[in-house]
Amino acid sequence: MIAAIENIGRFTLDTSLSLRNTLTFAIQVIIRLLNLRTYNSASRMVFINQFYFTSVQILPLFLFVAVIFGSLVNGMAFQVIKNLGLYDYLGRLLMGFVVTEVAPFVTVLLIALRSSSAINAEIAVMKVNRELNMLDTFNIDPINYLFVPRIINGMLSMVLLSSLFSLVVLAIGLFVSSAVFGTSVDAYNDTVLQAASLLDIVIVLFKCATFGFFITLIPIRLGLSASMELTSIPVVVLGGMVKVFLSIVVIEVLSLIIRFI
Amino acid sequence: MQSFIAAHKSRLGLVSLEAPLIANLAVWSNIALIRQYHENMPWHEARAFTEALLHRLGMASIMDKRNPALTSEERFCAMLLRASLVRDAIVVFDKPFGILTNLRDGCFIMENLRKLDDLIAETHIFDYNWEKERYGGWDGTES
Repeated sequence: MIAAIENIGRFTLDTSLSLRNTLTFAIQVIIRLLNLRTYNSASRMVFINQFYFTSVQILPLFLFVAVIFGSLVNGMAFQVIKNLGLYDYLGRLLMGFVVTEVAPFVTVLLIALRSSSAINAEIAVMKVNRELNMLDTFNIDPINYLFVPRIINGMLSMVLLSSLFSLVVLAIGLFVSSAVFGTSVDAYNDTVLQAASLLDIVIVLFKCATFGFFITLIPIRLGLSASMELTSIPVVVLGGMVKVFLSIVVIEVLSLIIRFI
Repeated sequence: MQSFIAAHKSRLGLVSLEAPLIANLAVWSNIALIRQYHENMPWHEARAFTEALLHRLGMASIMDKRNPALTSEERFCAMLLRASLVRDAIVVFDKPFGILTNLRDGCFIMENLRKLDDLIAETHIFDYNWEKERYGGWDGTES
């Protein structure tokens, strides 16, 4: 009994400490993000490379997933709407569910699987190889040079790719709508635009940026926690990915609570 | 050596296995990083500048290579160039024969240092006593 209570206590302390460290690191990074002196030619190059790896290289796979997913979601949703005679709710379904919930969620999963794991491993390898020590030797701040460009890229890529996903799904919706209901382009646009709320769009953009911030920040922080042994790399990548997925769930739940308050 | 490094940190250009090249950057990016970060030198200017310096050392062909693809001499030259790009560089060699594992003496080091003479303010070598002979004839060698 005492051992069980001790385990709960240890788990609570570890979790609280980890959360505190992540938030402290997040505050440090936000302060640098807002400081103009952080940005220089070297950090811009890192940003451009990262943007290419995260947002450009992924495009074929991302568009493929968006088309397949968009077709499935639209096909099912339109069939249900037709059967129940709920055409008036078409816009709300597309904007309130597909654009604000599905698009960011699928996008964050794809980016987390592809880029977060890569960033986590990259930072851990840099630490093990003493490349981070080298930066310190040459008075190069890793937060400014390595972390801030990656985090900005994470936020920007999330916003852009999620918007692209929404556009693809809405475009497929137009085809399905005209096939199922015989809707014209103008009528479809009206339906979607009437259902769009500025607050929802602001919340979804903020949610995407928050996703982007944390799915980059957490792998960086966990990568830094690697020891100087190669065997620590898979351990920190595993831990990092678990924490990334936990953060995705927490942000998703928080955004739903904010939207429906 | 640690106290020397700490005392000259702002102008330190370290050539050491403890300060490796970044493995996922090309040689030119590793070298140009110093000026790009500290002086905000635009990348195209930094690339041209680095290319000219690599030409000086006869190493232009390694410009786009990455660390794992370099020979020990090429790696040493890349590290030396990176160190010499620190403003008023105090270049510190930490056991250079640990990097140049297949060289018998320090002629290669001396020759490359001469070619970069205008960039370097001071040079210091830290090595084991028993390596002293390999630097034979150098002034002011202290182990």
